[in-house]
Amino acid sequence: MTNDNQIYFEDVELGDEIGPLEKVASDQGVIDFCTLWGNPIPNRFTSEEEAAKAKLSGPIVPGVMSMSLMAQLITDWAGPAALKDLDVVFRQPVPHNKPLIMTGTINDSRQEDGENIIQCDVLMTGTEGERYIIGTALVSLPSRS
Amino acid sequence: MYFDLHCHSVSSDDSRATVEQYLKWIQVLRKRGYTVDGIVLTEHRKFDFDKDYAQLANDYGVVVLKGSELDTRFGHFLVYNVSQGLADDIDFADVRMDARELMKAAQHHGALAIPAHPGRFGIGLVEFMDKGEIFEDVKIVERLNGGGRPGENERADELCDSQGYLGTGASDAHLASHVCVCMTNFEMDISNETDLVAALLSGNFSPVRLEETSIG
Amino acid sequence: MALELEYDRSLYGKEHEAGPFEVTEDMIISFNQSISQAGPCYNNKDAAVEAGYRGIIAPPTLCTLFVRRVQLPDINLKFGKTRFHGGQRVQAKAPIVAGDSISASSHLKEVYAKTGRSGTMVFIVWETTFTNQLGEVVADVQESYAARE
Repeated sequence: MTNDNQIYFEDVELGDEIGPLEKVASDQGVIDFCTLWGNPIPNRFTSEEEAAKAKLSGPIVPGVMSMSLMAQLITDWAGPAALKDLDVVFRQPVPHNKPLIMTGTINDSRQEDGENIIQCDVLMTGTEGERYIIGTALVSLPSRS
Repeated sequence: MYFDLHCHSVSSDDSRATVEQYLKWIQVLRKRGYTVDGIVLTEHRKFDFDKDYAQLANDYGVVVLKGSELDTRFGHFLVYNVSQGLADDIDFADVRMDARELMKAAQHHGALAIPAHPGRFGIGLVEFMDKGEIFEDVKIVERLNGGGRPGENERADELCDSQGYLGTGASDAHLASHVCVCMTNFEMDISNETDLVAALLSGNFSPVRLEETSIG
Repeated sequence: MALELEYDRSLYGKEHEAGPFEVTEDMIISFNQSISQAGPCYNNKDAAVEAGYRGIIAPPTLCTLFVRRVQLPDINLKFGKTRFHGGQRVQAKAPIVAGDSISASSHLKEVYAKTGRSGTMVFIVWETTFTNQLGEVVADVQESYAARE
């Protein structure tokens, strides 16, 4: 399942950067996500009042949604089925309507069970350097041969 | 020697870096012209007595030492030269332990416990000192922390300057590519945890950022 | 004195099952719209089939929507007034395709305390395995929630 823009295992080196990818989680996007997710609205993700009750400065992006944004950094780079493992820690609440900047740094490459695996650190930050999410991703890449 | 005195491997609940990934990343840093001699794994609320990184350290040419980062009632403390005796006296999983008792116990057992990220909002030593708490045994703190938010390292600077504390530097890395962003520059050679404590107690060290270690 | 964690420890070793949940094209496309995912294999059946899939594929984190539907039991933790999401891991084992039926099985993995900028927190970790109608494991998801004072 490869295409002309395919990244190959032999093309990457330790230290290579992935991205950046910038996304914004809009108020409506969060509402739509919560509706699909089955989280009753209003809640701390959609309502100022509910967010305040949870001692938040404003409604935040759900962790599962932020993670889905993060996954796009990898799938945009390596293809739709390349992401094998995404493991993240939510360090700070993620705000609505602000640029969310996602980057990856390749820190390991190996072969496991016949697959070419790239491991990278992933980071979601804000424009002031706020670290919203940190984590790692394992990506399977094809070989040129 | 340049040492990262504070980093976490997958043995810590919130880290995603294996020790080998740290060591591979250090090769990337060396290739880029930076100097790194060693790291200290300071796992959260535990000490990995059973883990032996000697072979990896030898393979990658990096000194790998072990320590702990313990949660206390007065913030987090980095503990170097942990022994079984210290682990028997102190419950490493107790997030409400008394930091003063920890420091005394560490000294008793030939270890050293220093405040981590003292300027960190909500949890740094500065917060407790501002409330009137006194810590007579503190002489060294982690002045430069690579995981700090804006303002936090500055608060640690003010603390060191006002109290006359010596300051270390470290990455507080939880990801492989974050290791060694800050380190400590020692004048002494360090090859084991006992050397590390001796070097810290000598006072001959300073915190540095990775960029300052560039050879070129 | 140490923080003694009081919660329902009898939950260890118990599996909580739910589903099957239907993964429809509408669900996938709605998910994609909410996160601005425009990739062709996720939105266009012809593109997905041309790429070798059985149909439109779900982004790898879509299964996390179903964890909520498992109705995990309350562990009755005697700590904290607020809860927030501390971390998540998704191990994608096989593509999830529009038309699939996904079943979930969850268990409590661990509960532990730590401190940070917001004070003392207790983390609760659940693991869920998702299986499709073919009996294939399509994903393993680990979620940790933090209770805060």
